[in-house]
Amino acid sequence: MSMRKTLTLIFGMLLLTGTMLAQTKAISGKVTDAQGAPIPNASVLVKGANTGTTTDATGSFSFTAPASAKALVISAVGYGSTEISVGNKTVFDISLKSSDKELQEVVVVGYGTQKKSSVTANITTVKGAVLADKPAPSFDASLGGRAAGVQITVPNGVVNNPPVFRIRGTNSINLSSYPLIVIDGIPTFTGDVSGSLAASNALASINPADIESMDILKDAAATAIYGSRGANGVVLITTKKGKRGKAKVTYDGWAGWTKPTRLWDMMNAEEYMTVKNEGLANLAIPAAPRYLPTPGPDGQTINTDWYDYAYRTGFSHSHNVAISGGSEATTFYFSAGYTDQQGMILKNSFNRKNIRFNVDHKINKILSGGMNANYSNELNKAAANSGSLPGASFASAGLARLALTLPPNVSPYKNDGTYNTSGNAIGRMNNTENISFWNPVPIIDNNYSNAENDHIQGNVYLQLKPIPDVTLRTNYGIDYLNVDNRQFATPIIGDGFPTGASFGNLQKNKRWVWTTTAQYDHTFFEKHALSVLVGTEQQRTTNEGYGLSRSQLSDPFYTNLQGGWLLNNTSGLALGENYLWSGFSRLNYDFDRKYFLSGTFRRDGYSAFADGLEYGNFYSFSGGWDVAQEKFFANSAIGRVVNSLRLRGSYGTTGNISGIGNFASNSFYSAGTYNGQATLAFSQAGNPDLTWETSKKTDIGFTFGLFNDKITGEIAYYKNDVDGLLLNVPMAPSTGMPNNPLTNIGAMYNKGIEVTLSATPISSKDFRWSTSFNYTYNDNKVTTLAPGVPFITSATSLETVNITMPNYPISYLYVIPTAGVNPQTGQRIFVNAKGEKVQYNHAAAAGSRYTYLDGTLAPAIDAGKDQVPLYNSIPRFYGGFDNNFSYRNFDLNVLLTYQGGFYVYNGTQASIRDQRFWNSEKAVLRRWQKVGDVTDIPRVVYGDNVSNGSANPISENVQKGDFIKLRNVALGYTLPAKASQKLGIASARFYVSGQNLGIITKYKGPDPEVSSNGNGNGNQGVDRNTVGNAITGTIGLTVGF
Amino acid sequence: MKKYMLKLALLSGVTMVLFSCQKSTLNPTSTTALDDKTAFATLDRIDGQVKGIYAAIKSGQVLGGRYFLYNDARAENLVSEDPNRVTVRAPWEFSVGSSDDEPRNLWSNAYSTINRANLFLDGMEAGGNAVAGAKATEFQGEARFLRGLSYYILVTTFARPYWDGNGSKRGLPLRLKGIKGPGFNELAPVTVAEVYTQILQDLDFAETNLAATVADATARTTRAHKNTAIALKTRVYLSMRDYPKVITEANKIVSTTAPFKAPSGVANALAANITNLFTGTSTDLENIFSMPFTVNDAPGTQNQLGHYYRPSSAGGQGIFSLNANGVIGDTKWTKADDRRKLIDTASSKSYLKKFNSGSPWLDFAPVIRYSEVMLNLAEALARGNAGVDARAVELLNAVRNRSDKTTTYTTASFANQAELLVAILQERNIEFLGEGIRSLDIWRLGLDFPTKSSGGFIVTAIPSTSPAYIFPISSDETRLNPLISN
Repeated sequence: MSMRKTLTLIFGMLLLTGTMLAQTKAISGKVTDAQGAPIPNASVLVKGANTGTTTDATGSFSFTAPASAKALVISAVGYGSTEISVGNKTVFDISLKSSDKELQEVVVVGYGTQKKSSVTANITTVKGAVLADKPAPSFDASLGGRAAGVQITVPNGVVNNPPVFRIRGTNSINLSSYPLIVIDGIPTFTGDVSGSLAASNALASINPADIESMDILKDAAATAIYGSRGANGVVLITTKKGKRGKAKVTYDGWAGWTKPTRLWDMMNAEEYMTVKNEGLANLAIPAAPRYLPTPGPDGQTINTDWYDYAYRTGFSHSHNVAISGGSEATTFYFSAGYTDQQGMILKNSFNRKNIRFNVDHKINKILSGGMNANYSNELNKAAANSGSLPGASFASAGLARLALTLPPNVSPYKNDGTYNTSGNAIGRMNNTENISFWNPVPIIDNNYSNAENDHIQGNVYLQLKPIPDVTLRTNYGIDYLNVDNRQFATPIIGDGFPTGASFGNLQKNKRWVWTTTAQYDHTFFEKHALSVLVGTEQQRTTNEGYGLSRSQLSDPFYTNLQGGWLLNNTSGLALGENYLWSGFSRLNYDFDRKYFLSGTFRRDGYSAFADGLEYGNFYSFSGGWDVAQEKFFANSAIGRVVNSLRLRGSYGTTGNISGIGNFASNSFYSAGTYNGQATLAFSQAGNPDLTWETSKKTDIGFTFGLFNDKITGEIAYYKNDVDGLLLNVPMAPSTGMPNNPLTNIGAMYNKGIEVTLSATPISSKDFRWSTSFNYTYNDNKVTTLAPGVPFITSATSLETVNITMPNYPISYLYVIPTAGVNPQTGQRIFVNAKGEKVQYNHAAAAGSRYTYLDGTLAPAIDAGKDQVPLYNSIPRFYGGFDNNFSYRNFDLNVLLTYQGGFYVYNGTQASIRDQRFWNSEKAVLRRWQKVGDVTDIPRVVYGDNVSNGSANPISENVQKGDFIKLRNVALGYTLPAKASQKLGIASARFYVSGQNLGIITKYKGPDPEVSSNGNGNGNQGVDRNTVGNAITGTIGLTVGF
Repeated sequence: MKKYMLKLALLSGVTMVLFSCQKSTLNPTSTTALDDKTAFATLDRIDGQVKGIYAAIKSGQVLGGRYFLYNDARAENLVSEDPNRVTVRAPWEFSVGSSDDEPRNLWSNAYSTINRANLFLDGMEAGGNAVAGAKATEFQGEARFLRGLSYYILVTTFARPYWDGNGSKRGLPLRLKGIKGPGFNELAPVTVAEVYTQILQDLDFAETNLAATVADATARTTRAHKNTAIALKTRVYLSMRDYPKVITEANKIVSTTAPFKAPSGVANALAANITNLFTGTSTDLENIFSMPFTVNDAPGTQNQLGHYYRPSSAGGQGIFSLNANGVIGDTKWTKADDRRKLIDTASSKSYLKKFNSGSPWLDFAPVIRYSEVMLNLAEALARGNAGVDARAVELLNAVRNRSDKTTTYTTASFANQAELLVAILQERNIEFLGEGIRSLDIWRLGLDFPTKSSGGFIVTAIPSTSPAYIFPISSDETRLNPLISN
């Protein structure tokens, strides 16, 4: 269909709504289901006319109908349609009771939709409406606790930082464990795509308000059709479509505030000087105080709260306008969004402008088509390094650490108001000891490090139904993501010292996907229903990056890449390509809607593998039995209580290619320079035998409904065996290899149980409470690594606290055991590899600091020898408890989420107990001071970076991570239909909400829901100098016109 | 029936068109890196590979900066002003653990140089020689020079000195074949003596095959020639305490009488003024071998010598000041000595000024200077002569007198052999301050690393029996290659 035709159509419809004749009457009401729950998005149409509307989130509707209207036709997805005569009534309470609700409900599956009743796969659907108004840039950050089997860990309070997203556990060691995200049929880019200090989650291009539903595909029956990309699970995002009826305009907006919570309690200037000078006095040759007060401009001793120079209360707001509607032939959904979200870190923010345009059109009985298009511009801004993104834990500028460890007795400003700097460090003021940290204030004031994304996602499709049972469909989509990274670093202090530095680079990611399917559905002899799908898909992804890195400012005036600089270098050079070709099919069969069988097959060819090894086959089988349909069951005593019961099982294989280098099977020599001349050197050892990492997934489960679905539930057992696990087989460094080549060698499994229980305990005319609880238990275990590779360690920047080894879960915490503080000496007790207790005295001369408890000299603790695997870092169980209450026009949502059975390495605690010039937490005030003191804080000794775990990770800093969090509380009020009408609007809802309002945990850091290493597989459970999560509050408004 | 035909036709049509995949797209070739099979296809690529081996050893983790820093940090002349463990604090205070970055990165980068050399030598044998023609042996000479130098760096850092058990102690895994894939992790170490044998074989081969003369001043300073290999051999033999061999080798490039210069090959000689050597990128003939840097190929963050040695007032980080109780406290090192001009003060602390070009710190990192060969020879001569060796004194005097016109040594200046040896050792300490020589001297002579302190923080003397006397082997190696341990 041409663009012009589409526009004409839309314009025509707008005209229609605008030129309504005077012969009208106002009609309003509410549509609910059998349990009295509101049905949003139900279509309410005047029979025989094009006039009508859809219901809002509370199931309410109101519109102006022609006076001649005789009857209303009400329908909704998953419910039967019903007809109600109008007569003289103007207010309607409509209940959609569908005896075969299950049969009608449709689930989005790979490459199509399927009646929920015939689905034999494990799929969880989350409605877009529950995430639409959450104050987060992307939907995934709000998914936590909403679905069994889905673990979401929001790593920290950096705006737009992608969450750790796992479906049924961590399923890879060296490849990605992030699920495949498919938006309207097009697999999209995921992860942090920023090359700057700001995080940029690629999924933030999708305005959460545009999402109709998220279908989370978990078992092989659901994911095997995605073949080599299905191993980590698949999330199908369906964006909103228009519905037949009068065009409906909605506005959603909110404004909110965000700030840090549960910050560490740090020492003030006086305490700082006391403790640090005590450390000096505790030296072998006691030293005089070097930490001395400095009077500020007001004459008072300087006592700086460095949090004031790192954090803020950020203000955010968001606005979405959507118009949707349609005629018999054409439906459309058209939306525009704007949001600006300030983070709790100074100058860290996210800004998005997006436009979406979805149209579907029936050309004739045989042919239909449509298109979806989304353009999004996102600006992710930062000034200082947050120190909280992967690889930044020990960054010199890491703001999280600076805000903790900078001495409170120095000020960011000299008394004359200028920046307090001394060379590339903060000025020490009256202290007589150098403070070698940076002053963050000039950095925050002058630096910027931004990533601006231009993201176009769209697809067009054409569908042909030559005969009733056959559907042919071809769908072509593009996903173009350009990321423009810009950074400027001031010459005053920091990364740009002393001459300034800047870079800019453009990273272009382009993908096209062409999918063609043919589907045949037919029921033979009334009871044999058959559905066959065959299809092909090609996915081509290319990326290119280039840019400029400049240093040595020619004048401090310049603050951008284009200004005056002396030195030029390259930045962000990249060139890549890959191609995936696939053929796939699915066969569904059911007998009498009782017995279900399904099989899928997919053959994938991927360009990263060597010639001859590119192809892989993936398949699944599944079956289901709808027990409740059996007469013997329905008529039994149990059948009267259990109104539905379906058993289900599946087995199949999927693969993982996410994270394989484009040329991983090739060996290369690459160019470099030596004294400005061309060099060539071995740069990549490829593995020509490289092939797919495959998962064998088993899923057994059942769903049930009790008391006419007053209580429903789903219980599933799963096991995911990953073998041929692709490992970057570690090479002994003496081999001098440039890389650890990928090899199909390891094995790992995840197995677990998922439980979802939903109920409506109270449902009266005015008051209703519906609740849903989910619980997932996941057991991860690595079974084999490569021969000669006893274990693999994963670093957190400069520190290694995680180990992956056979017979342990991945990412085990790997620390030196400690055994408290010796009350006799005040020294930290370590336990060495031999199991001997060794104490450490930093005041002794180097070489004689480690002694046994009897005082005899002991060998030094060496992390390489004495670190041992001690604690599990992957949550063993997690879930959510969601409650919705409504009383008349008020609604209340309370969502609790929880994770448990894991430990977190609180490396930040090592930083804030370090006895160099770094400030310490108030806990250090309970330090050991005299013989007999029983405490967990050793005697303070100037310069001691060993006793508290700065130099080497120690078990003292590992803490239980289990938590329950008050994730979301939202209180809403919907204007009564009559009031709305008076205001000339269809509906209006106001709400206040809060996120992350409270937490119950024994963890001592700001938040046990943390990841210093982002989505890393082998280095989870680490909190090293990372900012905590923010607490937010919003007020919002939704208006329908 | 017609319907079914239509169905079939449509289905098969769609299938035919869409199942065809783009075969060439499924097997792409890289346009940004060379297929390994083509790396020896042209003379330029072979030449590029030789430079690639230099580029590897020039890594900031090795000769680009840190190898020198570790050696100087361990000795007594520096005071660590920064407790940050990232900036060479642990070597300074002798608390290096096997999983610390210092041993891990030095070990892996030196071996990465070795593997590049091995892959190159293998490839030359497998066909590269034919392409390189007349230049083939010279290229191989460079590769073997760099391999020998890498093993020397490793054996002087991670193994016991040669004198301890006469080379019988645990040495290094000796890798002599290029490795391009998995399966080679396990290799037992050979003895220290066997490592030295290999180093000398490589350097002998290099001496035979390297170019005798190099016209271009930069090339003769930044790539090896015959005299470079000989110069390095004098250091290697000195480390083995094989003084006669030091004399044999040194005599090849040190004339019998002053003015001392190389009689053959590149005319290496003492520069007129030492300060001329530290102006950034000196290609003076004294500078036998240096690591060069360019704007686009800088030493890298926290590897640059100037970043460590220059105070913040001079754009550095002032991580190491000069210890007042170290060599700068030597009263016989006169104020008139030009080498004192390579020291300045800031906030009442002394700082080394040899590397002073400012960010991005492109000063050459000197590896071997002619004055070292002279003092190597002087020491070997002195040790071989129970009296006061005249030529040794002459060589010592040439180095001292070049910088300090007020001091002239004669044989009368020394009562005996021991006094002369002390003077030569002290001369080395003065001459090569900040050039990574001092702790090599301590180590090869079995001396204690002297005590030192920083702000009340005391590092006691480390005797040669201490485990901290050498670096522990990288924990990555001991984990993946169980045949070697600390």
